[in-house]
Amino acid sequence: MTHTLRALIAVNVLLTLSIGAFAQSPAHEFSADIVSRDAAGAIVGASAKLHVANHKVRIDPADGSGEFFITDDQAGTALFVRPAQRLFMDAGQSSTLTQIFVNVDLHDPCRQWQAAALVARTPVTGPWQCERIKSDSASNPHAIEYSVQAPRQAISRSWINPGLNFPILWQASDGTKLALENIRIGPQPPGLFAVPAEYRKFDPAALIERIKHSDVWAGPPNR
Amino acid sequence: MRVNGRNNLALGASAVLSFSLLAATAGFADDKSKDNDAADAVKTESPIKHVIILIGENRGTDHTFGVYKPRGKHQTISNILSKGIVNQDGSPGPNFSLAQQFSVAAQPAFYIGAPKNAKTVYNSNGQMPQPNTNGTPTAQGTTGAPFTPAFLALAAGLDPSPDFNANTDTILTTGFSNLATNSLDSRIPNAGVLPNGPFILQGPNISDDDYTGDTTHRFYQAWQQSDCSTANATKDNPTGCLNDLFPFVMATYDLNDSVVPAVQKNFSEGNSMGFYDAEQEQASLLKTLADRFSLNDNFHQSFQGGTGANHFMLGTGDAGFWSDGNGNPITPPASQVANPKPVAGTTNKYTADNNFSNCSDFTQPGVAPIVSYLEALPYRPQPNCAPAHYYMLDNTNPGFYPNGFRAPSPAAQNMIPPSPVRTIGDALNDKKISWAYFGGSYNDAVALSNDAVTAGIAGTLNSSTALGEAALADPKHSLGVAYCQICNPFQYATSIMGDANQRAAHIKDTVDLLADIQADTLPSVSFGKPDGLLDGHPQSSKIDLFEAYVQQVLDALEAHPRLKAETVVFITWDEAGGYWDSGFIQPIDFFGDGPRIPLLTLSEYSTGGTVNHTYADHVSLLKFIERNWKLKPLTDRSRDNLPNPKMRDDQPYVPRNMPALSDLFDLFDFDHRVNQPFLE
Repeated sequence: MTHTLRALIAVNVLLTLSIGAFAQSPAHEFSADIVSRDAAGAIVGASAKLHVANHKVRIDPADGSGEFFITDDQAGTALFVRPAQRLFMDAGQSSTLTQIFVNVDLHDPCRQWQAAALVARTPVTGPWQCERIKSDSASNPHAIEYSVQAPRQAISRSWINPGLNFPILWQASDGTKLALENIRIGPQPPGLFAVPAEYRKFDPAALIERIKHSDVWAGPPNR
Repeated sequence: MRVNGRNNLALGASAVLSFSLLAATAGFADDKSKDNDAADAVKTESPIKHVIILIGENRGTDHTFGVYKPRGKHQTISNILSKGIVNQDGSPGPNFSLAQQFSVAAQPAFYIGAPKNAKTVYNSNGQMPQPNTNGTPTAQGTTGAPFTPAFLALAAGLDPSPDFNANTDTILTTGFSNLATNSLDSRIPNAGVLPNGPFILQGPNISDDDYTGDTTHRFYQAWQQSDCSTANATKDNPTGCLNDLFPFVMATYDLNDSVVPAVQKNFSEGNSMGFYDAEQEQASLLKTLADRFSLNDNFHQSFQGGTGANHFMLGTGDAGFWSDGNGNPITPPASQVANPKPVAGTTNKYTADNNFSNCSDFTQPGVAPIVSYLEALPYRPQPNCAPAHYYMLDNTNPGFYPNGFRAPSPAAQNMIPPSPVRTIGDALNDKKISWAYFGGSYNDAVALSNDAVTAGIAGTLNSSTALGEAALADPKHSLGVAYCQICNPFQYATSIMGDANQRAAHIKDTVDLLADIQADTLPSVSFGKPDGLLDGHPQSSKIDLFEAYVQQVLDALEAHPRLKAETVVFITWDEAGGYWDSGFIQPIDFFGDGPRIPLLTLSEYSTGGTVNHTYADHVSLLKFIERNWKLKPLTDRSRDNLPNPKMRDDQPYVPRNMPALSDLFDLFDFDHRVNQPFLE
């Protein structure tokens, strides 16, 4: 059994102890660490931080920059916030994490992943494919495993916790993994999920238009 | 092919936790004064162990140094002030008529030497096409330059790009026109009634800190503007280029005046005649450098026309051509082939303003007038057009994306297939001499390219468009759209861009140039190109922004005296940008030369405010590298095979042995070393 799966079992045992009330409650709030592991199960780098409050997700990357992402699957938004510059912008494809760690329907998770990809402005050239895999009850009794294939990409695997309706492990095609660990069920401060009102939004469209007036831009029509 | 796939869901998970890989490269350590410099061990012909070539955008010699008086003892310069075309305050001088411009009656075919009886001089009261704002920014922008002050900080926070620093922070917020685009530029004194000739870009509402309207600078237009004919030849101007159709061509090449009302699609109008007054604090940093070091006033853009072809010539001494991607010339799609023949019923509207010509075929549109002219010149320069080769005459993106992704269908995407033409990088590699091309915002462009590949749009769109689309989806790296793909001659080359190891070793960002200077790991040969915000291009940038880029590099060098002592910094431009110039032009082949551009040479062996007159162009920079590091000419057809000029005593700007190009060694006095700051 790999380190990852041992950790996953431990996570789920803890979850099972506390999930009962949660599963029956409309409240859906928890936090966790996003831990990166290599194919052998060893931890790679520092952990990112995840906060979930119902339809909102906040991810604080591992780089210590203070920057963070807020997604809202009801509003269909994913924002990248840079406190040092007091600005925010559409996250777009700035981070794959915002496209992986989203609230999902246990029975049809591809719908939410595809929606997150659309929010990220990833061109959809075909439907996502999610195939439920028979659970390995010995190693992972409380997660539903899916084989996931985004258009034109290799097959990944994801384990979804049925109590959280949330992915707790993502395994890329090369065997590396992103795992939620130290999951703590409980209310999250609302301020974590709000962009301060004084922050301004950055939109690169004007920058692109200015550059079109230079020789840097050699797209058609040619000038 | 290795492509970095930052956003690929199938890639390693560990990579996606790190968001500030670029930020980690931004900090610089203090100078440890240790000599880690591997370039010192390489034998050179001169004490110069490093060359840095900084390339701005679109400024000519008279446009920049037209009103400049050399500071060196007994130094002279050829410019519109010395010729009496203007006075020191920029007003028309006693010989203003030497610069007068003409219109030409409609002709049945494309021409580069207009028939004398078809030419009409513009009157002196505003008949010459007048300056136009064209695409000049009307107001400060939220995310486009010039930025509102608040948003400058936001833009600065996008990434560790060295674009935003103490030198640029203020001037990136200034210079908008407050005028509508494509309208008379009333900031220019007397706009609307300007006399027939050059006009000063200076007044209460305009200076070198203002964005101004661009002027088209394309191959066939540039030849036509130069108005070259042996019938015009004189002793002082033996090639007979009169340079007197600049506003006319701009006003007519895209004007459909066969209908009423006429349809104008280009608004360059008279912008080509604008100039700055260096004696009145315009382009003041460049002037200071000229005062303290050396200026060449007979240095030329190597290619008639624009950015891509001139940078290509700078990197190869040759022109690029359309191929099958494996080195074999093939015919491009008809939509790529140029045809400057005037549309029937119009004065001069080009039939197809496209980018490629087979100049080996006399019957191809536009070819015969140029080749006939070359054959009529007394020194009979060869066109240097290989059979069945369609040469890249105007801006066309490389077949490689900045991350090395190879466009699968370049023809469909208006991109030129990967090039087999040998570059100076290949020659340096052969001799294991270190080199790098440092392109502003390159790292962001790689990130956007990765996005485009992941999104699948890299295979279907032109790379400029694809990076723009990617920037909308990835604002964090949006400055990548300002990286200049066509400015990097090595991005065209299969040998460099198609090899992941070569890319990693040699294609870098401005931030890496500064870091290499700081760490004493500067390559022997460095090319530095600012991004589109700082490159000095009219309309999208300003001269003072390019000066800020230059100063940033010079400041870094100044902090490392040992490195500075064995480094020469050449500062030049890709081309004159369509700006009129009064200087002599030596046609070398079908592709050029074109008008003069400044060349500043900064080293401890080129001081004193001297002005060198030896004929040179971009390829002279290759010749300098080749001589200093003992390399052979790149190929048997590249321009670096040309001899050094033997300049005439009675006319110091015209070589006796045309065609000829300087290797620039006579800009230096290696027996006389002066250690002085770059700037006072």
